[in-house]
Amino acid sequence: MRKTLALLVASTALTATLGFAAWSMTRGPADAGSRPVAALSEDGTPALPLILISDDDDDDDDDNRKGFWRGHDDDDDDDCDDDDDDDEGGCRGGARNPAPAGSKLPPQNGLFGTGAPPQVQVN
Amino acid sequence: MKSLLAALALTTALTLPGLAAARPVTLTTTLSSYGGDGAYLALYVTDPSGAYAGSLWMAGHKSKYYEHLNDWYRATGGDTAQVDGITGASVGAGRTLEITLDLADALFDAGYTLHIDAAVEDMRDSPNEVAVPLTTAGAGTPVQGRRYVASFAYDM
Repeated sequence: MRKTLALLVASTALTATLGFAAWSMTRGPADAGSRPVAALSEDGTPALPLILISDDDDDDDDDNRKGFWRGHDDDDDDDCDDDDDDDEGGCRGGARNPAPAGSKLPPQNGLFGTGAPPQVQVN
Repeated sequence: MKSLLAALALTTALTLPGLAAARPVTLTTTLSSYGGDGAYLALYVTDPSGAYAGSLWMAGHKSKYYEHLNDWYRATGGDTAQVDGITGASVGAGRTLEITLDLADALFDAGYTLHIDAAVEDMRDSPNEVAVPLTTAGAGTPVQGRRYVASFAYDM
């Protein structure tokens, strides 16, 4: 009985300690909400102006393209969730991009054994 | 002691067939110098009746371009789950993509065919760029693609 009680006390103390630490981490400085984003630096350096960068391709180059992939942008970012108006640029049918090799096991389609994961190289 | 030996024998008996049922196979695809951007390639297999059996590799991460891999897209409906875990970067002109996969023995000498669909930005789509029967005799024999693939071979 004593052992159980001691265990309970210890686990409660541990939980309280961890909980308090986590709760403290989630709280920002009291006045953080009132300061502009660019002025949150705590090291005393002057705040840099906030520059908003758009990743939308607004240039007209794509309009002149003929044939394959016309209207798609050239960047390599994962823009599956872009919100532009042209349906061609979004993910076809709302499909997500596939998981890259190494991040997930190959599909269980009966073609693969259960051995080594895929190895790939481009020369 | 007897039960331990029996258990060992059983696990060995169960493991060995599994090891023998698959083998590492290297798929080597060399692209021609077609003078365009990186190519999207879909490598997939059809069964003896010509029906889609599954995908082996997808070169190119963005699913929005998969519609240009015409035959693969038609067979799968563009289902990206088909290429989860077997997707890599698109392949540049003149480059060689070398993939080593652990493939089931049942695919060889059983009427299965490996296909490659290819597509390049601002250039013509090339469904069924390569279609090669999977046979042990055909291993190591390079074949030429129709438009973008200079040579393809599988080795085991």
